[in-house]
Amino acid sequence: MLGRRSFLRGVGVTLALPLLECMSPVFGRAPQVSVPRRMLLISNNLGVLPKLFFPTAKGSDYELSPYLKELSEYRKDFTVVSGLSHPGVVGGHSTENCFLTAARGPTKSGFRNQISLDQFVAEKVGQVTRFASLNLGVNIDKANRSLSWTRDGVLLPAEDSALAIFRKMFLQGNPQEVASQLHRLEERGSILDTLLLQAKSFSRSLGQDDKERMEQYFTSIREVEERLNTAREWELQSKPWTTESEPPDVKDKKRFFEKFELLLAMSRLAFESDSTRIVTLMVDAFATPVFDLHQNQSTTDGYHNLSHHGQAAEKVKQLEDADYQQMGLLRRLFSELAAKEEQGQRLLDHTMVLYGSNMGDANTHDNSNLPILLAGGGFKHGQHLVFPRDANAPLSNLFVSMLQRFGLESESFGSSTGRLIGLETV
Amino acid sequence: MKTSPIFQSECAGRQSGWSSRWCVSLVEWCLLGFCAVQSVALQVSAKDAAPGVFKQLTPLLENHCTECHERDNAKGGLDLTKLPQDLQERSLRERWIRIHDRMEKGEMPPKKEDMPEADRADMLRVLSGAILKVDREEVATRGRGPLRRLNRDEYQNNLRDLLQMPHLDIRDVLPEDREGHHFNKATETLDMSRVQLKAYLDAADMALRAAMVTQKEPPKVAQYRAVGTRLFPSLDTFGTRAAMFFARDGEAVNIDGKTPKEELAKLDADEGLELALFRSASWPYYGYPKGFVAKVAGEYRVRFSARAVRQLAGFKIVPAEKPQPMTFRARKPSGPDVSGDVRATGGLIDILPESGVYETTVLLRGGETFEYSLLGLPVPLTFNINGGAPTYRYPTFPEGGQPGVAFQWLEVEGPLAPAVWPPLSHKVLFDEVQPGSVPADVKMESKRLLRRFAALAVRESIPAEELQMFEALVLGRLEKGDVFSEALLAGYKAVLCSGHFLYVREPERAEDHFAVASRLSHFLTNTRPDEKLSGLAQAGALRRKAVLRSEAERLIAGEGFDRFIRNFTAYWLNLRHVRRDDPDIRLYPEYRFDDYLVESMEMETRAFVTAMIRENLPAKVLVDADFIYANDRLAQHYKLPALSGSTVRKVPVPKESPFGGLLTQASVLKVTTNGTTTSPVVRGAWVMERLIGQPPPTPPPSVPAVEPDIRGAKTIRDVLEQHTKNKSCAACHARFDPVGLALENFDILGSWRTQYRGLEEGQKVSGIDRAGHDFAYTLSAPVDASGKLLDGTAFSNIHDLKAVLASNPRQLGRNILEQFTIYATGTPVRFSDRPEIETILDACAADGFRVADLLFGLIQSRIFLGNPGCE
Repeated sequence: MLGRRSFLRGVGVTLALPLLECMSPVFGRAPQVSVPRRMLLISNNLGVLPKLFFPTAKGSDYELSPYLKELSEYRKDFTVVSGLSHPGVVGGHSTENCFLTAARGPTKSGFRNQISLDQFVAEKVGQVTRFASLNLGVNIDKANRSLSWTRDGVLLPAEDSALAIFRKMFLQGNPQEVASQLHRLEERGSILDTLLLQAKSFSRSLGQDDKERMEQYFTSIREVEERLNTAREWELQSKPWTTESEPPDVKDKKRFFEKFELLLAMSRLAFESDSTRIVTLMVDAFATPVFDLHQNQSTTDGYHNLSHHGQAAEKVKQLEDADYQQMGLLRRLFSELAAKEEQGQRLLDHTMVLYGSNMGDANTHDNSNLPILLAGGGFKHGQHLVFPRDANAPLSNLFVSMLQRFGLESESFGSSTGRLIGLETV
Repeated sequence: MKTSPIFQSECAGRQSGWSSRWCVSLVEWCLLGFCAVQSVALQVSAKDAAPGVFKQLTPLLENHCTECHERDNAKGGLDLTKLPQDLQERSLRERWIRIHDRMEKGEMPPKKEDMPEADRADMLRVLSGAILKVDREEVATRGRGPLRRLNRDEYQNNLRDLLQMPHLDIRDVLPEDREGHHFNKATETLDMSRVQLKAYLDAADMALRAAMVTQKEPPKVAQYRAVGTRLFPSLDTFGTRAAMFFARDGEAVNIDGKTPKEELAKLDADEGLELALFRSASWPYYGYPKGFVAKVAGEYRVRFSARAVRQLAGFKIVPAEKPQPMTFRARKPSGPDVSGDVRATGGLIDILPESGVYETTVLLRGGETFEYSLLGLPVPLTFNINGGAPTYRYPTFPEGGQPGVAFQWLEVEGPLAPAVWPPLSHKVLFDEVQPGSVPADVKMESKRLLRRFAALAVRESIPAEELQMFEALVLGRLEKGDVFSEALLAGYKAVLCSGHFLYVREPERAEDHFAVASRLSHFLTNTRPDEKLSGLAQAGALRRKAVLRSEAERLIAGEGFDRFIRNFTAYWLNLRHVRRDDPDIRLYPEYRFDDYLVESMEMETRAFVTAMIRENLPAKVLVDADFIYANDRLAQHYKLPALSGSTVRKVPVPKESPFGGLLTQASVLKVTTNGTTTSPVVRGAWVMERLIGQPPPTPPPSVPAVEPDIRGAKTIRDVLEQHTKNKSCAACHARFDPVGLALENFDILGSWRTQYRGLEEGQKVSGIDRAGHDFAYTLSAPVDASGKLLDGTAFSNIHDLKAVLASNPRQLGRNILEQFTIYATGTPVRFSDRPEIETILDACAADGFRVADLLFGLIQSRIFLGNPGCE
């Protein structure tokens, strides 16, 4: 196979955002949207130090908090919200899988998760892009954690390798590979037809509980089949080109910031190339052991232990450092999204970037007053929205506002009671 | 009674002391302040099948419970006025079970005097009777649990066995499975999604392609031989010469970049040279024979001549005094960096001091080579300080010289041809149809082969109607123009992704012997039933007690049992996380890159758990035993008399040794720390949950965790004082903190210590570590492993704690049964299983709850066999 780099150098074409119009006719089902809307949903499952994150004053003339000062250039491009949480989503770390689902009672017996925001959107607009959505994770425990959940409440595993995502998006197979892939997809269609028939027969002999369990299997068959059609169409289209070179394949969990940065870069590339419009990114701080804070300086403890700082100065200092660096990564992302033009606007104006956490304060396992920041995406930003600390508004209200801005006619999501008051669109 | 906490001694006098202590603290936490008794109407559900039960219970609840569990005063989130009195609905039943259990343990009501014993007994009797009835009915009508999806290890094992490809490697194509109840075997978390199904389709495709051959002849076997300087890819390795050199007659030969070409060429084939190696394989390292690469994936036979040596000053080598263990590592022959994955292969080989020929088989992927991996030796690490030139220092030689290995020659042969051609895997797919050929009557032959494959693949008979569906698929593919083999493989893929293959069922019907066979084999060998077991299922013999037992014994004695041991310990004891946190080399320089120690720790635990079952050891070995399994490295780690060789073997431990039993095994002590510090909280909670079977409740919200201070200023004990001072903490922490405290004498890798280490305060210790780096840490406060249990029993060290934990073998036995139950059936012990669990325990009590006896008891019970039970 051609080396990726030589292939790219040989072509040397800068990627332009593909014209979406020429894709649209292929998919009759896709809603016609004039401006492509995108979302990047990020959660760090240990959150941030709340005191340094939340501003004290509310409204548009608020003074930036220490962390938000890192983003001061983009002050007008984001809204910071305090007093949000998911009602009934308590239980310390077990809430991490509910950040985008709002499913109540993750520690209760018989708990089942619900559909996540990204999958809800992907169900509706996923077919307009090569990938319905991308589900990424920094240092993520793929088996047990994800921001992305199906309608049946089944975990969708995250991808943690920037290199793998890059190749998925840009590595074009040669004609034989494309042909054999098409054949494979066609064959897969026949196999799935058979499996569906066979499963019906198989199910007949089963008991009630088994049948309920088999529902997941049926759903899976149908969903793989539905996606085959889209996959076939996309296989016929060449993959987009990029002048950017392959990212390194960083495996070491200690290189936490590097991995985070690479996955943010992949998210940006995914949007620029319109490979997908929906990206989730779980920063699995919980699964991050002792990590490199700076060159030649690592933390004294794993991220989780640091988060239970008990106000010990040494730990707080390291957490602060880590939080500031993550803010720095966000600033860089914003600047790149702002630098890219799309239909006369900045890519940032079409891209909602949500940064938050299921932890209001990881030190005390608190799941209320979550740190929430929303940037870009076509909202009137530049404000600190405040909801009562002791009677939080549902975070799902923000999700509803985002869904509507995305162009979906959704009145509710999760535990929403409406849109988020005070957040207006441009 | 059956759920009594371990610290609650079976002797009655102690019990009351324990309980009241516990109760006092609970009052603080859950039930601040008592209000006047109020009569509250409890919510009665219309659905309730046994209204009589709640009629009996309501007055008792109102008298003893609702004052703290109603409306605004609903302590612990339990509002009895809102909790529907319904036992049918599962989640509600679970809540009532919790109420039952806390009352049974005496935790509720928190003050003993708040509920007369007679009332408590009444309530427990009524409630448990009602729950039992409802739960039993549900199990009778709906089964004990639903069907379970195979996890990825099982799927791979099933394919390996079906396709007769013991090295088939498709596991990583499948997403890692979610854990449930700590195992990768829990029905409720083994979900199916489009991602999962697609992965199964990909994995099946990959496996079938690997099983099929297209060539008429086996691939050509390549031969390779290296001597002299070809034994290593370069003339030196990273670090100083002490790490590696070439020697003749026991003395280093001077070769370097300036050596003339002609001379180098001669040395390339010089049979008189030895490669002398004195380092372990780790980054950076080029350590493979020069010029060998596997062209195709497969097994390669490696033969080599070597001897264990010692290096003396002046680069001299003399015979070693003990064997040196080694293995090989498969890797790509890329630069000094080890890119991609590196896997140990070929098994452990102990190189003896006398020169000898060794032979092993390594498993390589296409494009890979293999490197020498000497175990437990120093690891040179090149590093740059402030961008300067790389520096490296070989550590000081131990007394008697630096151990290493000298290699004389090495040969590789491979890929090894299968015993027959086409290989067995091909025959599974195509029977007698030769590679590349097409049968005369394609349709007929396809139908025949498909039926044959389906019968082999599926662990029971498939209805004719479904076979026809698979057949139609193959015929359809042929009509669409697929070639014979492709069309057939499409049908096979469907079989391998069908419900029959992907799921294991609860054995519900009396005649359902296949489900019993499948459950037994997936339990004890993590794979499909073998021929013998399938035959017994076919004969309908698997509900006979004696047959079940003899089959279990056969599987336990067999090779496949290793799959059980690996998977069970990976999850139950978290062995799969044994490498999760690297030791903090500032504090523990002696553990730098000591992968051999970690590997030995894994071997020890696997050997121990194997013995627990194969040798039918009593349950108390979970916490105490008078022997351990150790090899050369572990003997050193545990400060026991020296052993030689890498094989772990049973060795007695002196009475005064703290080792012996799972509780104090290095692996267990390692997975419960973070690599830097030990936390009695984490260790204690883990031990209570995994070994004792009494998991602490989840921490209440809004309580900051306390973590140790590593600067050496404070001991963990100081920090933990909060847990005892603050009664709301003490309520729970008193259950497990003491257990962790008693383990404080074990460092992050389980070695015995009497003083903590720090970086600032205390007596300074410095030197050069095994990688040649300077180190400096301090010995700070002495370790105090004493404490007090909930019942007031004081202990001064690990010996005392072991005695306490071992004094309730029934709870240890119960825990083993509970772990086996979830692992074997995918469903945790249900309320209606409890009497059966106790019956099994009763039967095993006289012998001290021997582990295999417990296992046999379980597989002969309804919990395992489904409603029909044994014949």
